[in-house]
Amino acid sequence: MDHFTLLVWHALLVAVFFAFLWRSDARGRKALFLKTFLIMVVGAVVLGWLMFPFP
Amino acid sequence: MTADKTKRKEAEAKAAADTPPKPVSKLLIFVAWLVPGLGHWLLGKRFRAGVFAAIILAAFITGVLLKGELAVPQQNSPLSWFFTFGCLGNGVLYFLRLIWVNGLDGLQSSLFPYGLQGGGDPVSAGFFYGKTFLYTAGLMNLLVVLDVHDIARGDKS
Repeated sequence: MDHFTLLVWHALLVAVFFAFLWRSDARGRKALFLKTFLIMVVGAVVLGWLMFPFP
Repeated sequence: MTADKTKRKEAEAKAAADTPPKPVSKLLIFVAWLVPGLGHWLLGKRFRAGVFAAIILAAFITGVLLKGELAVPQQNSPLSWFFTFGCLGNGVLYFLRLIWVNGLDGLQSSLFPYGLQGGGDPVSAGFFYGKTFLYTAGLMNLLVVLDVHDIARGDKS
């Protein structure tokens, strides 16, 4: 498995987990899942690019 | 509409604050930790139980397949207890993996709890990713145990 697939898989598991832990209605769960998932995936990619110039 | 919602939420919070918390069975907390999802199952939250069990199991199996290492106590390394506590969150999965790696003889060693192997392969490309998945699974189950406690206490539905 490549690194990005693992990142997405990890983000997916964690996002679903917190959506079910912290929200009890379907709408709230969907919203929290999307927010958490996107923050983790997009955030990791952006951080990766920002770290690129550093040795 | 929003004001009604806020008032309702305030009334619910006040009612919850006025209600004395229910006593929580220690056995329930123990089984919730030992078998991921079982605590919610016993409290009647069957769907949530299934979701939590599936997520924790999936994370744990991914960690093992990536050849990640479970944390075990090490002599002269107090921090290793901290990581061990996180991994111990996996409950029965942690012990099964330790038995798989060390055998029952390893667990009965005179050095116990030291001298155990956490499994995994440090040379493998997935080693650190695997560790991350294993630690994440353990920490998620600890949060699930806290959730079971809150539900059993009546603080959460």
